[in-house]
Amino acid sequence: MFRSTTLRLAALYTAAFALSVVVLGVITVLTTRGALSAQFDARIAAESAALVQEYRSEGLNGVVEAVRERDQTPGAIDYGLQGPAGQPLAGRLAPSRAKTGWSVARQGREADAVRVLAVDLPDGYRLLVGDEEERIEALDGALLRGFAGAFVGVVVLGAAAGYALNRDVHRRLAAISGTAEAIIDGDLGRRVPVRGDDDLDRLALTFNRMLDRIAGLMESLKQVSSDIAHDMRTPLTRLRQKLEAGLAAPQERGQAMEGALADLDSILDTFAGLLRIAQIESGARRAAFRPCDLTEISRTVVEAFAPSAEDARQTLRLEGDARAPVVGDPELLTQMLVNLVENALRHAGPGADIRVVASRGEATTTLAVIDNGPGVPSQERERLFDRFYRLEASRSTPGSGLGLALVAAVAKLHGAEVRLLAAEPGLEARVTFPAAAS
Amino acid sequence: MKLLIVEDDKETAAYLKRALSEAGHTVDAAASGRDGLLLAAGETYEVIILDRMLPQIDGLAILRTIRASGVKTPVLLLTALGGIDDRVEGLEAGADDYLVKPFAFAELLARVNALARRPPPQEVRTELSVADLKLDLLKHTVSRAGRRIELQPREFQLLEYLLRHAGRVVTRTMLLESVWDFHFDPKTNIVETHMSRLRGKVDRGHTHELIHTVRGAGYVLREPD
Repeated sequence: MFRSTTLRLAALYTAAFALSVVVLGVITVLTTRGALSAQFDARIAAESAALVQEYRSEGLNGVVEAVRERDQTPGAIDYGLQGPAGQPLAGRLAPSRAKTGWSVARQGREADAVRVLAVDLPDGYRLLVGDEEERIEALDGALLRGFAGAFVGVVVLGAAAGYALNRDVHRRLAAISGTAEAIIDGDLGRRVPVRGDDDLDRLALTFNRMLDRIAGLMESLKQVSSDIAHDMRTPLTRLRQKLEAGLAAPQERGQAMEGALADLDSILDTFAGLLRIAQIESGARRAAFRPCDLTEISRTVVEAFAPSAEDARQTLRLEGDARAPVVGDPELLTQMLVNLVENALRHAGPGADIRVVASRGEATTTLAVIDNGPGVPSQERERLFDRFYRLEASRSTPGSGLGLALVAAVAKLHGAEVRLLAAEPGLEARVTFPAAAS
Repeated sequence: MKLLIVEDDKETAAYLKRALSEAGHTVDAAASGRDGLLLAAGETYEVIILDRMLPQIDGLAILRTIRASGVKTPVLLLTALGGIDDRVEGLEAGADDYLVKPFAFAELLARVNALARRPPPQEVRTELSVADLKLDLLKHTVSRAGRRIELQPREFQLLEYLLRHAGRVVTRTMLLESVWDFHFDPKTNIVETHMSRLRGKVDRGHTHELIHTVRGAGYVLREPD
């Protein structure tokens, strides 16, 4: 039973409350009894003093008269007046030989304990005033019963609350545990139910986010494996054919080997690209982030590629030269821009004008590569970021189909959004970064 | 020159040993990190080729130990495909250059040669020259046969790199890394384009060409025969 945290806690709390009820009860009974006894004695003493006063002013007969009169009135206090020989003169209290002062006598209607104050009057007369002690005990008993009831109530309520709490928490933990078990058994789509906004719900949300992340990674892993299997088949087949041709025709061996090496290099390129994307997606590169300037990076890239563009009768230029600061990995950002520029150079066609624009906005910094080539149909644009996805029209041109997938991975790593937009005419690839804190 | 290869794969080690020997080098090979450490500490080599992934001891740990024991021999680190952080880690551990596996042998040879004949670092040079080509590092000017040649900043860097490695083959990747700081392989022929422009400015109109293409390997700038 105590293997449940909630139950253990509930039992502990209940025990603590029950103990405080007991302590409170003891203290209350003790103080109440003290106060009641003092009050009880004070009442008897006051009554006694009043009768002595009566004796002084009215004499013995006055006292006898007063005692008889008081005995008539219904009330709690008992009286007794005895003569010098101990004979009773008036009152219900039997003569007592006890010494002057307070004593306890057993007498009265049911031989109850009576607390008596004896006062000597002149000439051997004696005045007794007393009351049954039971009155105090009755009050004590009522108090004790009250606290006993409270004690039982606390224990019962505590146990009930503990049980209910335990059942609720247990049910919710079982839901989390059940989800985990289901996932272990292969049902990766399962998530922990969330019903409100308390600590367990927040735990469930964190748990679900973790599961989403894992599922995403698994999905991308699965995707990569099937992409590799699918896209490697063609180049590997070609490689094999060249090697076989070289074996079959010794005079063409040199040429076949060269072709095979070229095929192999392109396969390795694809592998390197995939591994690089996977590594970027793992997020480990964020450790290398530092402030950098997109304009500076753009200048380097444009300057490196402008001569090649010129040779292909295209123009490549940088627009604007204001700083466009971001926090990121300059090497990856450079490669991202290189991929975008190479994409434009390759697909915008001869005579195209390609502009690289890095600019800083209010809350964002953007990097855009804009060409005036044929563009891409809108329904195909998003899919271009998938690994190995290529437009029908560009299947014959060289390229691994990984360029934009890497762009997407780098953008995601930097918390940036990358989109392909229609440039009327042409295509604009725009990466929007959250602005760097300056 | 005398080289040390630390590589656990027997086939790779044997191939490299043979090919480097054919290129005129004396080669020792160690199959484990421990043997590599012993050889590196005991013998004098001009270049050490060290595999990053070794059984038992990590290549980087060996590299750090070699450096900690005061061995200053240039180290070429062979790293795994796709490891983006390997380069930085390797250079931090004390490597002088790195090469991603698998690689073309010409690339390895060019890098080994570039490492071996590094000029002593204390030597401050203000002018680089080969034949009648002169590059002034202070004034940032280039001239050939006394005639001034105007170069773009990147072309100047390219020529400076070729001059610093005069007589040795430099590969496309070496140029991408040191001139452009691109540590990935662009699909566009940017090195070729820049090189052809540079050659146009340096060699056009001269009887002897100084910059040559080495097929399957890269470029070399050398004295005319």
